[in-house]
Amino acid sequence: MVRVARTVNLIAALVVSGAVLYVSFVGAGPLPALGPVFNPSTGAWTMAADAAGVESQTLKIDGLQEPVKVTFEKDGTAHVVAQTDSDLFLAVGYVHARFRLFQMDLMRRQGEGRLAQVVGKAALDSDRFELQLGLLRTAQLEWSQADEVTRVALSAYARGVNDRIDEVKRLHQLPVMFTLLGYQPEPWTPVDTLIVKGDMTQTLNFTDTPLVMELLDKSLGPDLTAAWFPVLPPNTQSPYDPGPYPSHTTVAPMTAMRAVTDSEAATAAALHDRLAALPPGLLATGGESNNWAVAGAKSASGGALLAGDPHLHLTLPSIWFQLTEDSPDYHTSGVSIPGTPVVLIGHNQHIAWSLTDAQNQQTFFYEEKEDSAHPGQYFWKGGWQTYTTVSYDIPVLGGSTDHLTVKLSAHGPVISERGLTTSVWWAGNLPSQDFEVLMRVGQASDFQGFRDALRDWHSPTHNFVYADDQGNIGLISAGYYPLVAKGQPWLPMPGTGEFDVTGTVPYDDIPQVYDPPGNIVWSANQRQVTSDYPYYIGTASNFFDPGYRANEIHRVLSQDGKLSAADMMALQTDTRDFLASEITPLIVQALAGDQLTPAEQQARDLLAGWDFRMDTTSAAASIWWTFWETYLSQSFDPWWKTKNVSVDRHELDDALGQDLEAMTLAGATPCQPPGCGPAPASSPCITSECAPGPLTVALRQAFHTAFTNLTGTLGADPASWTWGRIHTRELENLAQVAGLSYGPRADRGDGNTVLAAGGFPSTHGPSWRMVVDWGTHTFSGIYPGGQSENPASAWYENKVDTWWSGLYAPMLSADQAASSPGAATWTMRP
Amino acid sequence: MKGRGWFVLMLAAGVAISLIGVLMGAWWLTFPAGLVIGAAVAPARLAIPTGGLAGLLGWGLPLAAEQNRYGLGPAAGSLAAIMGFSNQAAVPLILTCLVGLLLGLTGAWLASAVRRAAVPG
Repeated sequence: MVRVARTVNLIAALVVSGAVLYVSFVGAGPLPALGPVFNPSTGAWTMAADAAGVESQTLKIDGLQEPVKVTFEKDGTAHVVAQTDSDLFLAVGYVHARFRLFQMDLMRRQGEGRLAQVVGKAALDSDRFELQLGLLRTAQLEWSQADEVTRVALSAYARGVNDRIDEVKRLHQLPVMFTLLGYQPEPWTPVDTLIVKGDMTQTLNFTDTPLVMELLDKSLGPDLTAAWFPVLPPNTQSPYDPGPYPSHTTVAPMTAMRAVTDSEAATAAALHDRLAALPPGLLATGGESNNWAVAGAKSASGGALLAGDPHLHLTLPSIWFQLTEDSPDYHTSGVSIPGTPVVLIGHNQHIAWSLTDAQNQQTFFYEEKEDSAHPGQYFWKGGWQTYTTVSYDIPVLGGSTDHLTVKLSAHGPVISERGLTTSVWWAGNLPSQDFEVLMRVGQASDFQGFRDALRDWHSPTHNFVYADDQGNIGLISAGYYPLVAKGQPWLPMPGTGEFDVTGTVPYDDIPQVYDPPGNIVWSANQRQVTSDYPYYIGTASNFFDPGYRANEIHRVLSQDGKLSAADMMALQTDTRDFLASEITPLIVQALAGDQLTPAEQQARDLLAGWDFRMDTTSAAASIWWTFWETYLSQSFDPWWKTKNVSVDRHELDDALGQDLEAMTLAGATPCQPPGCGPAPASSPCITSECAPGPLTVALRQAFHTAFTNLTGTLGADPASWTWGRIHTRELENLAQVAGLSYGPRADRGDGNTVLAAGGFPSTHGPSWRMVVDWGTHTFSGIYPGGQSENPASAWYENKVDTWWSGLYAPMLSADQAASSPGAATWTMRP
Repeated sequence: MKGRGWFVLMLAAGVAISLIGVLMGAWWLTFPAGLVIGAAVAPARLAIPTGGLAGLLGWGLPLAAEQNRYGLGPAAGSLAAIMGFSNQAAVPLILTCLVGLLLGLTGAWLASAVRRAAVPG
């Protein structure tokens, strides 16, 4: 009996010990390997030491030629002063990796299709798509073609990153997410830096617009699609480059939309669904950024003013890392993207610059002609061509390695073989020496140098705004504007050669202005040029902004009187909704004489007395926004239902909103699909058959529906329907850890305001605000986040409250920073 | 049963092995530390808690040192959030101590069980 008890005891001890060791070494289910993760000295707890911040000290850094000083302001802003250019970039690499190593690793893995290696098969679709699209191939090509200056900079930067990687491995101080995911970062390479640049290019201008247009064409029909999604915007906008333009054939209006076949539509639907299932950020879904400049002649200080706030997905850590870079050839201050060595937006001693997305069409889809008699080939320019193939092995955590073969046609990678074989021509796949350009921009001292540098910028196309210390301003939309031989590039085109991209708009012909007579320049993702511009650059629905922010910026800047830096800051946080200012008076007018309940009268009065600002305390803001959503739905949903449109209508709200705005201001409403017939007030149908109905009826109906919806959601008292009750903003943790995000918190603005805050909650917006006054040589900037990715660090989100309040921090020089309170300095020695 | 001195010596040895392992990144040494205690200390009802205590101290002392030097509050809160326990910063602290305790305890238990099974009768 004793023997049995002892044996049972032994078996139990073996089983329990085995279980404890297994969970400690391997983990179980959602639990990571508990041993290495919770080891107090080398596991996740090392984030406490890392979070303690920096102190003045001397560091030995391999690869340096001379000592380098890195000063940190109290808020974490870094100032790197080096005696050689190579040392500058090496030190920047070390500093980036010190504070953002996991973010950098995540970004390179995303672009290189290696996420599944560390997170498992959930990331396999993303990896397969990225390898098909070709960021890695492009980055490798760019590296092979890079000039000596770029090679030195990227190599030095990689050395600095690797110095830090070696250090954290040696000291067992890996950032917490590496520990939790159970892997160590591999050495950084220059190609990784080019991949990070590729990520940004993709998220800003790889679009599925032609697929969407094809689906719309098939369901709505060519006529309605051409009418609602035209080449030129239907509403009144404020292009910054009004011409005159070079003589050339003018843009053909979209009057001859071709019919789409069933097989084309099925192919587009399959590919559209595939792209829609990818993680957010892999597909450009619209841009919201602002920049503008005011010439010295219109500035209160007498010097040129510049303001820039690029709008991106707002994350913690932020996409930005703020720093100054000083070396013999570089004196720049601003924000950089971790993983890349240069200041992307900022200023040097003579010029300042910022950028917004230009939004022109840089993605074209081609349906390849194939034949079973010619396997592995496609028909192009009169003959059968053999696809080039590239093979990849994708390691998958917890699974077997995935093998992928990518086919490449003359147009680019084949990204779908479901139905018709579809390849994509994407400007982001063309080598673009953007770092060389940015380094030359950073060295420019006048517009000529700035413009010359941007000549080699290809993708993503950006509106680069400029202001210098001589009072000059400019704006140039640098990048490729592809030209197609013929056809309808807003739809997928035959891949047989006649419809290929044949070149780009000449650099001298791309949108640009310098010291315009009005003394202002501005961009907010609007179409940059008027209808007289002679080249096709994309449809109104190719994510060109509807233009409300640009209109508002233009309205404010063009008013009489001088402007100051404070005015620039006020405009960057402006919540006046331009569209609301146009439409609200018509709503109020339409409601005159209508049968209204006392509460409805109160809601109408709120609208009548509104200043069109989307402030958190404004009840009118909620009424307006709900009205507009209802009006859109009422106007277009019947078509979506009747025609079985597979594209989510909300994806197209910007484009449809422009149509609705234009029609409403013209006193009309959209026609309704046949069969809807006269309808009671609760029906979405406004009119019968395809004829415009009375605008007053439509506006009243939308108001009543919106009122009912708000009453149901927010209660019976319209005065309590404040915008902050329904509109919030959230800064999402990059690793999707909800507990490490900021918010959701009530916030002002909407998708149309200069202070962009579209969405519920809004997760997209001003990722960096910068204002420069060359008259007083004052530079201000702020971004929503902090310098460190370590959530336990005081620098994780320390800049958020300043940003949220619409305030700024001074952008100090390295010398100013060194004497600022609380500063600490690293002395890096070879 | 040997004397108190032997017990204290074994406990100290276990803590030391565990501690060295934790500091060197060889966290798993806590388990062998438990094995040593289980093999050297009898009876099992004394050896097993001693192994657990050695593991607990081997992991808890460095944690206390980290707390003393840097403060663990923000790190604990962040880890809890990552684990899905927002606003429950104690969870990772408890888990850390529990891992150390279980490694030492199971090591001692296993060694004790082997020893007892090997003894005739």
